[in-house]
Amino acid sequence: MKLPDLLTSSLGVVRAQPLRSLLSMLGIAIGVAAVILLTSIGEGTRRYIFSQFTQFGTNILTVHPGKIKTMGMPGVLGGTTRKLTIDDAMALRRLPDVQLVVPTTIGQARVETRGLSRSVPIFGATSDGPELWKFTVRTGSFLPPGDPRRATSVAVLGSKLKNELFQEENPLGQFVRIGESRFQVVGVMESKGNMLGFDFDDLAYISVASAMKLFNLEELNEIHVQFPSGRPSESVAQAVAQLLRERHGGEEDFTVTTQDAMLDVFGNIMNIVTMAVAVIGGISLLVGAIGILTMMWIAVNERTAEIGLTRALGATPAQVRQLFLAESIILAGIGGVLGVTISFAIAVLLRTLVPGLPIFTPGNYVILALAVSGITGLISGVLPANRAASLDPIEALRAE
Amino acid sequence: MSWREFIAFAAGTLTRHRLRSFLTLLGVSIGVAAVLVLTAIGEGARRYVTDQFASIGTNLIIVLPGRTETMGGLPGMGGAPKDLTLADARALQRNIPQIRRMAPISLGTEEVAFRERRRAVPVLGSNADLLEVRHLQMAAGQFLPATDLERGAPVVVLGKKVADELFQAQNPLGMVVRIGQWRMRVIGVTAARGVHLGTDMDDAVIVPVATGMKMFDRSSLFRIIVEVAAHQEIESTKSKILEILEDRHRERDVTCLTQDAVVGSLNSILNGLTAALAGIAAISLAVAGIGIMNLMLVTVSERRFEIGLLKAIGAFRSQILWLFLAEASLISAAGGLLGLAVGWGAVEVFHHIYPTFPAAIPLWTIALAMAVSVGVGVTFGLLPAGKASRLDPVLALARAKR
Repeated sequence: MKLPDLLTSSLGVVRAQPLRSLLSMLGIAIGVAAVILLTSIGEGTRRYIFSQFTQFGTNILTVHPGKIKTMGMPGVLGGTTRKLTIDDAMALRRLPDVQLVVPTTIGQARVETRGLSRSVPIFGATSDGPELWKFTVRTGSFLPPGDPRRATSVAVLGSKLKNELFQEENPLGQFVRIGESRFQVVGVMESKGNMLGFDFDDLAYISVASAMKLFNLEELNEIHVQFPSGRPSESVAQAVAQLLRERHGGEEDFTVTTQDAMLDVFGNIMNIVTMAVAVIGGISLLVGAIGILTMMWIAVNERTAEIGLTRALGATPAQVRQLFLAESIILAGIGGVLGVTISFAIAVLLRTLVPGLPIFTPGNYVILALAVSGITGLISGVLPANRAASLDPIEALRAE
Repeated sequence: MSWREFIAFAAGTLTRHRLRSFLTLLGVSIGVAAVLVLTAIGEGARRYVTDQFASIGTNLIIVLPGRTETMGGLPGMGGAPKDLTLADARALQRNIPQIRRMAPISLGTEEVAFRERRRAVPVLGSNADLLEVRHLQMAAGQFLPATDLERGAPVVVLGKKVADELFQAQNPLGMVVRIGQWRMRVIGVTAARGVHLGTDMDDAVIVPVATGMKMFDRSSLFRIIVEVAAHQEIESTKSKILEILEDRHRERDVTCLTQDAVVGSLNSILNGLTAALAGIAAISLAVAGIGIMNLMLVTVSERRFEIGLLKAIGAFRSQILWLFLAEASLISAAGGLLGLAVGWGAVEVFHHIYPTFPAAIPLWTIALAMAVSVGVGVTFGLLPAGKASRLDPVLALARAKR
């Protein structure tokens, strides 16, 4: 049969029993809408967290002391035989693939000035920090370049810390007290915002050597290494690991993490979660498909005489099968379109109700949904269509 | 009509068209089974986590240096302004009678060596109370001696795995091992425990806390674990601890975590997660309901003559309504029962594959599932049943096919 004829006949049947067709389509529509919404939320979340991580650039790797023993961050237990030191960091600079190296420590302390004080994270870093982390200095300058082993008494404030302690005043040249020591403010950072709950504006930077003295640390928290964008992160990671192993007497008592590896793991987890949730949503689709199967089966029974007549007029069993399959596919297909529309409407609704919710529907999800609904119609329609095709025309005409 | 006739009538019409009745109730059973399985898995996860927490001790409060607002982050990030000291620990014990036991903890990683064999493990510094507080058991020898906290004797208790690795078949008791540069005498071996909450006590060693702090050159403890005598006293003890330490440190720079609070948060999170997943699965029940509505509409239109006849011989509108509602509910209830059976079977299979995971269908979920399935039948059967009850008997008798 010609395609336009199939279409017209199927649509005619749909129109002839509007309520019944609507309900059958609705079943598929709800299933499709559920799956699209769930996978969209998953995709949106994945993109959001991805962008949060890659804002620092993707050609960075990090070295932590200690091996990941327990489920948690490396270096929690600390206190290994060979410490991760500033000298280690400086040695890494010599590697050919390494562009920037920034040794860091972190601790929490009170920053006080003229009666006001605030307990914030204190980052120990070096002058290359802004370039590595893609931060910019708003006023003044960052930590001065020089020997990282020297403890200087300068500090750089995050924008929020500056507002809290100095309000509208210019803090450059003023002194703050961190721990037991005085630091002179030489710069204020541009506002960077929040990343996964950590406020990058509510902290202060001092030289890493000063930070280690302040918190009585014997080793660094992390060493950040930047390499040229073209280089595969794995090879750089291996070079870094080898050099540090040599410096640590053959022991690998540190962990090198590339951003690629981290994003990979994260991406995998997100994929699994999204798929699992989509499968659960897909149960609705399955039930909807059973609904269509039931309705088509009833239709075949109801239209036995009609089928008999069509056969008597010369239609082949294949054509009868085609007819019913087309009906089923159209039914499910329209249901799919309906479902996509519903999912868009709900997505808009959700975005206005919950502003921060990450929902993203890639175009191919929609196409996939429509394809799936079409296939669902096909599969649900096979059994009824076969039954219709196998009806004996004489019996069919007689039965009514 | 009596109750029995009612049910018989409804059941009769269903069995007349077995296939489509079955397909329709299948939708309900799939939905119910899915919800049950997901709830069982969620419940299993919850029980697993709760058991894990209970196994590490009871009525515990954990004191950490540094302040966190939330539970998630690592407080102190290595460097709180004031140290959590042994003197602090003793002050707590002296001033709070509700504390039954107290174990200060210091932590570091070091290589433990015996002759030519070595192993890098966590080294915990603590006191004799740790044995009871953490529900540990000894496989050989004895635990740390009960002495002053400041006394750091050169003794060590090995975890089972460490003892096996270093000593193999030999008896480790009384032998001297090297921990970094320190020589320590083995006085005991803990019994195998397995991994609890990510920490493997079998692959660690325990030394007196004063020794531990000297070994890693620490002035601050890693934690203080406090066991409270009675469950009801936990909150008041927690406030007292915070008060005493704030007094001693002249600021609030410690965090107290109660086991209950942690378990409570985890419970809420897991419950929420399970509810969300089950809710998504429940969407399929709505779709199944639509299927019921569709089927009932077909049934009603097929039986116009019958309905007309019933009304003609005196059936009330309400009786017709109830008749069809009964039919719809019967389908959905049957679907619910089937779903129950399938769900239960699926959970049993799950048990076989993962015997250590305590997946279980909570009883209230079963009741809820049955109630919901009947409810679905009633809700989605209302429209068709209403339609049937409002049929004009004359028209129905006149136009219906015989």
